[in-house]
Parts: sequence; C-alpha cells; structure tokens
Amino acid sequence: MGLLDVQGVGIAFGGLKAVQDFRLDLPKGALQGLIGPNGAGKTTLFNLLTGVYPPDTGTVKLGDRVLNGLKPHQIAQAGLARTFQNIRLFGDLTVLDNVKIACWSRGWTTTLDALLRTPRFRAEENAITTRSMELLQIFELDKRADESARFLPYGGQRRLEMARALALDPKVLLLDEPAAGMNPQEKVALRNLIRDVRDRFGLTVLLIEHDMGLVMEICERITVLDHGVVIASGTPIEIQKNPAVIEAYLGASPVADASPGAH
Amino acid sequence: MSLASYGKPASPAVVAVDALGPFAGVAVLVLLMHFVIGPAVGPYYAKILVDIAISIVLAVSLNVVNGFTGQFSIGHAAFMAVGGYTAAAITYFGTVKIWGGLPLVHADPQGWGLFVVGTVAGALVAGLFGLFVGLPSLRLRGDYLALVTLGFGEIVRVLLMQTGSIPDPKVIAEAPLYTLPLKLGGSLGFGGVPTYTNLFWAWLWAGLTLVIVYRLKASTHGRAFLSVREDEIAAEAMGIPTTSVKVRAFVLSAALAGIAGALFAHELGTTLNPKELGFQKSFEVVIMVVLGGMGSLSGAVLAAAVLTVLPEVLREFSEYRMIVYALILILVMLVRPQGLFGIHEVWELPVVRRLLGGRGPK
Repeated sequence: MGLLDVQGVGIAFGGLKAVQDFRLDLPKGALQGLIGPNGAGKTTLFNLLTGVYPPDTGTVKLGDRVLNGLKPHQIAQAGLARTFQNIRLFGDLTVLDNVKIACWSRGWTTTLDALLRTPRFRAEENAITTRSMELLQIFELDKRADESARFLPYGGQRRLEMARALALDPKVLLLDEPAAGMNPQEKVALRNLIRDVRDRFGLTVLLIEHDMGLVMEICERITVLDHGVVIASGTPIEIQKNPAVIEAYLGASPVADASPGAH
Repeated sequence: MSLASYGKPASPAVVAVDALGPFAGVAVLVLLMHFVIGPAVGPYYAKILVDIAISIVLAVSLNVVNGFTGQFSIGHAAFMAVGGYTAAAITYFGTVKIWGGLPLVHADPQGWGLFVVGTVAGALVAGLFGLFVGLPSLRLRGDYLALVTLGFGEIVRVLLMQTGSIPDPKVIAEAPLYTLPLKLGGSLGFGGVPTYTNLFWAWLWAGLTLVIVYRLKASTHGRAFLSVREDEIAAEAMGIPTTSVKVRAFVLSAALAGIAGALFAHELGTTLNPKELGFQKSFEVVIMVVLGGMGSLSGAVLAAAVLTVLPEVLREFSEYRMIVYALILILVMLVRPQGLFGIHEVWELPVVRRLLGGRGPK
C-alpha cells in the first residue's frame, strides 16, 4: 500500500457526477501526473482530497490515517499540502509572511508568549523566519521577501504558492497547474525545481497540468480523467499511445466514426 | 521582528528591552498624562484626552475583528455596554455593600481596587458574550454576520432598558447579590456611578491595549488572524483553523471593548445609558476602523483621535455630525478605499520609510 491511498472516491453536485470511483495508490517519492480536458474533475478531485468537499463515497488514506471527515486545516496539518490553480496568496501580506503563516501549525508557543515576548517566542520566531527564508531561497524569492505578495510577477506568485505549501512540512504535495501562465524559460526552471524539491524534501507529488511537455517529461506515471472517470493510467509513453486518451482530447477520429453507407 | 535582525542571536539586554520596553513606554506615557499634561491643559481638555483614550481602546479592539480577520461586526457598542454595566454594578453595589452609603461622586483612591476589579470583570463578561455570539454566528459570512452582530447589539440595548430602577442603599445592603444585576437603572440609565476614570486609568488601558494588539499582529498567532482576512480557503489549506481563529478574535475584541465600556461608565460627565450605547456608537467605531485602515493600529489611533476631537470642534453643528461623518466616509472610500494606512502601520508606508532613510519602496 502506498503513502496516499485513494479508494473509490466520488462526489456528485446535484445530478452532475463530478468525480466517480477514483482510485489512486501513490507510493512514497512518486511524481504522478493528473491530466484531462477542461472540466474533467481534476481540481474537484484535489478539493476532495484536501477536505474542501467531503467525498460522497470512498476513502482517502495518508499512511495509516484516514482523512475522510477531517477539516481542510486538519488534513493540511496531517501532511497533505496543496497549491491553487487560481492563485490564492495572502496578497496584502509580505512574501515572507505568506510562508511564515504556513509555519503556524508547527509552532509551539501560546498567544501569551507572543503578548509578553518571552524568550520562547523569540526562539520560535527566529526559527520560523530562518526556515521561511531557506524556502524562499530555494524558490529564488528571498530577494523579494519584504514585498507584498501581490506585486510579485505571475511566475513568482506560483513559486511562492509552492514555497508556502512546503512550509507546512508536508508528506504529499498537490500542485494544481503550477506552470499555468509561465513563459517557456520559467517552465524549464519549474521542471527542474519540482524534481529538485521532491528529492530534497522526500516528497510525494501529485500534479495537475495542462502543459503536456512538462507532464510527459517529469511525471513517472500519469492518470487521465475525463467526465469524472479515470479513462487511463500508466507511464507517459503508454498514455501518449492510448486511444481513449487521444479521443478524450481530440474527439473521435472521423474516419473510424464514419460507417460505410452513410453520406 | 524585522527581517534585518533575523538569524542573529540577540543579547539578553536586547531581549529584555524588546520584551519590557513597551510596558515601560506605557508607564511613562501614563505618568506624563496624569502628572504633567493633565494639570497643564485643564479639565476640559483632560476630558477630551480621556475620550480619545477610550476611543482608541474601542477602535483598536474592533480592528482585531474587522481589520485582522476581515469579519464585519457592527455590534461593538453592545460589548462595551456589557463591560460597562458589569463594571458599574461591581463598583456601585460593591461600594454600598463594603463601605455602606452611596458611592462618592468623585474619584477616591479607596475604591481604585474595586475599579480595577470591575474593569477586569467587565472585560471577562464581555469576552464571554463575545464567545456566545461568536461561536454560532462566525459560521456566517459578510452581510449575514453584520446583521447578527447588529441584532445582538439591539438585544443588549433593549434588555438593559428593561432592567429595574436602582434600589436605595439600604435595600442594596440587604439584597442578595443575584437580584442586583436585574436592577441596572433601565432606560433612565445607571446613575451615580463613581467617577474613577481619569487620564491615568484611561491611558493605562489604552496603552496596554495597543501593546497587546500590536504584539499579536506581529506574531505567528496574529499572522493566522490576517490570513483569514486575506483568503479563508488558502488559510484553511495552510493548516489554520479559521473558525477557531475567528472566535478567538471575537472574544479578544469583545473583552477589550468591555474595558472601554468600564472606562466609559466611570467617566465624569457621561451617563451609563442604553441609548448611548446603541447602533450609533457601534457605527462610530466602525467608521474609525474603516477610516484608519482595516488592520492598521496606527490608523485606528489616528482616526479615533480625530473623530473624537471633531465633534468638539463642530460642537455648534452637532446635529449635522452624522452627516459630516457620512461625507468623510464617502470621500475616503472614493479617494482611498483601503483607509488611510491600509493594512500597514504608518511607519511601514513607503513614503515614511523613505523619510526615515530605510530601504526603498515596498
């Protein structure tokens, strides 16, 4: 059994079955891609895993811990961190504070420590600042630590989302379209960054991405979702050749579709 | 702690100054107010200074909810009323029970202990009310929460109007304690509350409130508050229990408003009256917070001071006060929708940072 074990997870919104019977078994250290056409249910699946929506059916397990029924913040603390497709930074706060906020749940001081500025509080604040700056350095954001997050360029905001998620010290990182809106150079850098971060922190990564070049190059395995159902799963090469996947993306081939005798 | 100092081990002296310095600063301010400024400016201006201190406590405390966590509460005067009536009941009935006879109208050092007990009790009871209101209603968002806090404010006001008149000292001396909270003066107000509030007490609490709330803002716990305001979904995803953070903010804010209420109740020249602590008072405090900048303490202090002095300046036009307020608010919303200082403190603004010779614009 893998680190992240998803069994038969599904949810329906009214009559729309957004995700049905999703299964995934992610071993520790895996770098798995999740692709599918727009509206296939990829982000909904992330929301199911992170507790934003409680799943109607199925179970999500992280290691030995069942995550069903936990609140999003409890799931985050349990070690499942995520980024957002539509960037959700704390825009008015500084880049550094964005990362520091994610360190809160690992903190050990009480509010009283903060109000009296005890040595314990100083020690924690120092530790959090040091760790956050290390993370910002990895993502090449340390020079802009003091700026408001909203003033970062788009690629920088995406990197900050990853840095912030890593500050939670997660076991599994869910990346929702990390390359969206990035230019080609940024995408190349991101590719190396994702791999590098995975190795350095011993992470397990599940990645939603529309940039096929990126997905095919860095993912070891890929799961394809269409209309809420898994239609294929395998290595990048298998996926590229899979007729069901090609059909989902490009539509059925007109030649194969045309029956003899029809006009 | 600023970015420049991170990682460097601080000497014990620096640690001690950082921890205790602000309290020493408050002590100096309080003594200066009480012994130098107060006697120098005379009773009229001293009263305005006391009013400013009370407004600061109110604006800064509401800032914890409206500014830090971004929830919109417009029932702040109700917490003030709860704290004020609690404190007044303790000092008034307490004086009669302990020393017999009516409380003295003027400050009497004998009763200062009772006043401190009353203020702290006012804060605790108001905080408890904050918990009661906060727990169910903070699951609501935006307008709905505002409506609930507004309704709560009206309920408190109406309940206080329904209380019985204050009994004679002889009756009080013999009445069992639990009957007294039902006799708080009703719609006529709680008359004859001893006037303990002076520059010393008002600025002591204002200073402590500022130190507490500023330190909160600059800590991990305060950053958790701010993250709720910035993006609740992202905050949850970063391991912040947003509901519990909001309830905590509500309780702290209510407790500090209770202190302001206690100061107000014991001030010379004010009557503790349910009518004084209705929606209009809540709205005044909201304006202070919005004007100063949601989340900015220095903004709240400045707005509290200006909006307390303004009615005195415009005394001849006092009927038009609310119109002037509304116009100021509309103007600020048009020109500077984030308030004077936005979420920042005055010394964090780019202009000021450049003036102080710090690093470049933020």
